[in-house]
Amino acid sequence: MVKVVTDSCSDITPQLAQELGITVVPLYVQFGNETYRDNVDLSTEEFYHKLETSKIRPITSTATPADFAKLFTRLAEETKEILTITLSQAFSGTYTAALQGKAMVSKNCHIEVIDSKLGAGAQMLLVILAAQMARAGASLDHIVDQVKKAIPRIHIRMTFDTLEYLRKGGRIGKAQAFLGGLLKVNPILGIKDGAAFPIARSRNRTQGMDFLVNYVRGFSQIEALAIEDATTPDDLQALAERLKDVVPPERIYRSKVSPVVGTHVGPHVLAVAVLEAE
Amino acid sequence: MKTDLADGQTLKEMFASGTAWLEKSAADINAINVFPVPDGDTGTNMVLTMQFALEEAKLNSDNHVSSVAKSLAHGALMGARGNSGVILSQFFRGLAKGLEGKTHFDGGDFARALAGASQTAYKGIVNPVEGTILTVLKDASKAAQEAVKNDDALVSVLEDAVKSAKVSVARTPSLLPVLKEAGVVDAGGQGLYVLLDGALQFLKGESHKIQYRRPRLVVAETELVPRAAQRPSQLEMPHGYCTNFALEGQNLNLSKIEKDLKKKGQSLIVTGDDTLVRVHIHSFEPSEILRYATRLGKLHEITINNMDDQYVEFIKMQRERMPQADIAMVTVATGDGFFELLNSLGNIIIVPGGQTMNPSVRELLQAVESAPSDNIILLPNNKNIVSAASQVRSLTSKKVKVIPTRNIPQGIAAFLAFGYDMNLEKNAQAMEKAIKKVRAIEVTRAVRGTRLNGLEIRKGQFIAMLNDEDLIARADKVGDVIFEALGKAGAEKAGIVTIYYGAEIKDAEAQEIAQEIRDRYHTEVEVVYGGQPHYNYIISLE
Repeated sequence: MVKVVTDSCSDITPQLAQELGITVVPLYVQFGNETYRDNVDLSTEEFYHKLETSKIRPITSTATPADFAKLFTRLAEETKEILTITLSQAFSGTYTAALQGKAMVSKNCHIEVIDSKLGAGAQMLLVILAAQMARAGASLDHIVDQVKKAIPRIHIRMTFDTLEYLRKGGRIGKAQAFLGGLLKVNPILGIKDGAAFPIARSRNRTQGMDFLVNYVRGFSQIEALAIEDATTPDDLQALAERLKDVVPPERIYRSKVSPVVGTHVGPHVLAVAVLEAE
Repeated sequence: MKTDLADGQTLKEMFASGTAWLEKSAADINAINVFPVPDGDTGTNMVLTMQFALEEAKLNSDNHVSSVAKSLAHGALMGARGNSGVILSQFFRGLAKGLEGKTHFDGGDFARALAGASQTAYKGIVNPVEGTILTVLKDASKAAQEAVKNDDALVSVLEDAVKSAKVSVARTPSLLPVLKEAGVVDAGGQGLYVLLDGALQFLKGESHKIQYRRPRLVVAETELVPRAAQRPSQLEMPHGYCTNFALEGQNLNLSKIEKDLKKKGQSLIVTGDDTLVRVHIHSFEPSEILRYATRLGKLHEITINNMDDQYVEFIKMQRERMPQADIAMVTVATGDGFFELLNSLGNIIIVPGGQTMNPSVRELLQAVESAPSDNIILLPNNKNIVSAASQVRSLTSKKVKVIPTRNIPQGIAAFLAFGYDMNLEKNAQAMEKAIKKVRAIEVTRAVRGTRLNGLEIRKGQFIAMLNDEDLIARADKVGDVIFEALGKAGAEKAGIVTIYYGAEIKDAEAQEIAQEIRDRYHTEVEVVYGGQPHYNYIISLE
């Protein structure tokens, strides 16, 4: 059976990973001299708490080639086929690290590395799709083909209530267009061609949530939906309530936005990701 | 009786005389706008539109009436400001159509052209309302056609048309309840009557008298409330030349200089004492101003700038900031705070609205043409510019979507709704949707006393307009008028309230009001400097 690997930016929860047989490679989060493995040494909740309270701006860094090499070597004991789906190259060097890790593996094993050109909940939906196919016994080639075809059908929108984190960030591409405004806004970001992209601006959280709801409701057929928050479970619950009828509950995935994205958007992020039906 | 046929020159002179007559009436006409807000200058808008029409006709050396009429129509279209200006331009378009192919014209031709003009004007308006300039035009053209049956001399046809226009103006309050309540006749109708009356004076050989007289407002058939005195209208639009100089002399009479120069231009500033006077003025003929000043003394530090060039420079500068977008945004704003705010929110070409918030069609067209894309979204931000903005569409090969933003809060909401990943159609849809969610309260002082919506309003009282449609509150204190308006506008339902404070308001005062709104309505309130003239506060509820 094909083994599916992804990085911690996919926001896949440990429970879901276990359920679907997905291996998650943690990225690293650094606050000053302290280094943590994302969601291993430092839970997502703890990260956001530190983000809000620490004077030090966190730095996130990619999983290393050695991390991937070690993992691939271990997995090669049990499978001949490994599929790795990484965060978009525009956000992180994880894709390159995975490729380098693959080159370091001496065992006879077919390893494919795919750049999802996505992140967060969007990446999660892609990984879930791959894992479900793997569990159904599909071949690696078939899964790779299907995954690549699915990327354009996955869409993400996120809103947050301050530009402060974006301002301090700097690696989030065209989203910088939102900076410098003299009016307080709740931006809406998406991912386009693998990079963060400014979508629109709302004036407050209510409008931002309305935008997300209307965005999801604008799709005629949805195969799966991911909804995420960071530190605002009530808002996530409200969002879930408003979207509960767009797709059966077993295909709605709830999670938390991981630190790599969170560093740029702050603790009040809300995100929706949609896998559009073919 | 058959008189000599009139030619293109006659037509030009008729409307030059009409415009001169209209100019003298502009302040009075401004004064009878239904809403006593300081920027609804129908008279000024009509005069400016006519000036553009005449400029264009002046450049045309052809003496055929069809050619002159075409020039007038083109000029009026390019210069159209405000609704009344747009209707005026439709009038000239119809007139040009009626006179097409003719070298000369008589009363019969003119009557037919007038009928065509009336039809064109009605067609050009989405929802024609009776009791306005449209009715006056229709009545005048009917009378002209009747007159032809007896005598097709141009002068007698026009005479009957003018008489009928006057009666029609007097009847406007009985056709339009809002006029009746405010106790005024329709300003646009009044303007048209004065224009035609001035043209008639030329035909009668009486146009020299214009300089000594002044048109009187038509008295409504219904009883009128006495009118308060008027402020002179001011314009800050870039057009013509901006002339500055210092005048050195002896026993200089400041008030006389001011009075004399007032007739020669706009945005006049005269300061100094009896030996040195500084002058700033906008006019189309700076030479005339300098000639006047040299008679009084020695001139120093003379600068004359072509404001159209300055405007082009301004647009160019903004253009350099644009990204490689496939859609360009053009908007109209007044106030340095709003300029800065809009620029901070993204790439947008701003056409300065000037004191009246009414840029001409030509200015809008210039901005559209200079925009770095063939797909344009135009946000007029004023109900009086919406129709002028729509005219731009037919004058450019670019694809222009006009989002009918009636005020600046709607314009900002539309701008924020701009989606970087959406095409022109989708963006237009998103913006139209966004502007429906915004309510705008505009607070100003009444420029005259009136009655509206059952409210007695004294000159100088604070008044609040909701969505530029309804006068919803008036009070002596600005705070009172704001809170009454907020209550009526449903502030308790607003998720966010934004206060844009005007040029004459202190930040601290605006902050105090913001705090009170937070306390009363428990809503998010943001305070932003708009720097707009006339309006103390513009408040947006979303």
